Amino acid sequence: MSREPMRRTIRGGRPYFFADPAIDKILNMVVVLGSEVWTLRERLAAFEAIQVRQGGLAAGEIDAFDFSPEQEAKLAAERKEFIDSLFRILQEQVEEARGRTARAPQKPAEPVAARKRAVPVRGKSSKTAKRRSRR
Amino acid sequence: MLELKHELKLDKSRDEKARMNFVSGLRAHVLNDMASGMRAVYDAEVEPGFRRAAGRAPANGPEVHKAIKPNEYFKFYSSLRVTAQDMVWQSVFPPLERNRTQLKDRAAKLSRRKKLGSLTLKEGFEVPRYVSAIDVHLMAGNYDGEYEAEDLAAGALYDNGLAVFSFGLMGQNLDDIGQSIAGFIRLKFPQLKPAKILDLGCTIGHNTGSWKDQFPQAEVHGIDVAAPCLRYAHARAQAQGRAIHFHQMNAEQLEFPDASFDVVFSSMFLHEVPKKGIEKIIAEAYRVLKPGGLMLHMELPPNGQLSPYEAFYLDWDSAYNNEPFYKPFRDLDPVSVCAKAGFKSKNFLQFVIPSVGWYGEKVWSEAATRPPEVDSDKTGRLTDGIMWYCFGAWK
Repeated sequence: MSREPMRRTIRGGRPYFFADPAIDKILNMVVVLGSEVWTLRERLAAFEAIQVRQGGLAAGEIDAFDFSPEQEAKLAAERKEFIDSLFRILQEQVEEARGRTARAPQKPAEPVAARKRAVPVRGKSSKTAKRRSRR
Repeated sequence: MLELKHELKLDKSRDEKARMNFVSGLRAHVLNDMASGMRAVYDAEVEPGFRRAAGRAPANGPEVHKAIKPNEYFKFYSSLRVTAQDMVWQSVFPPLERNRTQLKDRAAKLSRRKKLGSLTLKEGFEVPRYVSAIDVHLMAGNYDGEYEAEDLAAGALYDNGLAVFSFGLMGQNLDDIGQSIAGFIRLKFPQLKPAKILDLGCTIGHNTGSWKDQFPQAEVHGIDVAAPCLRYAHARAQAQGRAIHFHQMNAEQLEFPDASFDVVFSSMFLHEVPKKGIEKIIAEAYRVLKPGGLMLHMELPPNGQLSPYEAFYLDWDSAYNNEPFYKPFRDLDPVSVCAKAGFKSKNFLQFVIPSVGWYGEKVWSEAATRPPEVDSDKTGRLTDGIMWYCFGAWK
């Protein structure tokens, strides 16, 4: 018998509690991400402790540290990029809405029912086409 | 995170340890903080709602379960508890998979050392369906999963997983149940001088060893159906310097002669067996006990002795943690189960024993003089202030 990797999926299924199982799945993802955030913090704490032990850092030096104005500006830009990418999914809707207004600036607003009917044919919208052309 | 204290301990990276720490912390949060939050939500919202509709309080665990199921807090508690349970095992797989060769080498080295106990496995042994067909408590591969010859990885998964799962409440060597109970029995019954002790469904022997510690003169045996756990148990006992004899055997059909043991013990075992199997196991315990011998099972407390809410709380595992036999077991009346196997009702006994690790030696030893209190929100719950329930009978 050669060696097989250990099976990691559960036989007998996994219970779901919310009306939509997607909520349970997303909750699981959030917790796994939480675990990774914590793991980074522990790693950073280890790094800091090693630096202090080796004399590269004084105890509490990071907490008392302030970035220079140049460093602060660079970080601020990176922070904005990070936040933008975090909420990118919401931005898609905004861009689509703006694109619609730009294409038909003179047209009066469509009635709600018509807009609803338009949703299923989104696959053929200019947004998808734009995405394809970017590839 | 609780680090294993023996030579089979896995080598883990800083990040792997941190993930395990996180899961232990998550479990403590769900089982302590959120569990008490859920009780508050039940008292303030769910129970009054039930009363308004039914004109009375819920009468049993299933009624509480039905009433609380639509509640959002219950859903978050449950979903997070399943997530945490899954993450326990998932946190062990990567270091375990990486260390499988090293683990086997260490085990082989340990068994070459002066043999203290023994290991007896059976070619072609038939593992019962209630073990081979499900992944109990969401542990992928279960106790018996084998992925190569002479495999002991499932034992390591259980040992390391238990360390994460228990967040310290099962003792530094995961033997708080064994130490609390074997020690309690020694204090409570000083006349008992067992020559032979048997532990049923011993898995990795983490609670078997305590009997050897408390009764060093006794010959101690442990049986289980899962070969990888037994191989690991043997190596683990060798590492801990304990003489234990491990056998691959089904507790429903013991291969020991009649009247050959002074104590027959099990811990957290019966609730993983269907009712028919439990009856056979108790009958077999009766058969192999010497007259005057003691049978003792550490278990979750029976539903008949719990309030409806506590019954619901413990039954959660049966509904959502791949423990299909957990509630049926807890619905049984322990006195009649023992009587059916031949034990006289007057010889029945039960205890609630404070965890020696949590309460310390003083409170724990004083409990040997007190009558049992079963219905407590600490009994059988992995929570701050845990108490262990056990029942059994003298033959």
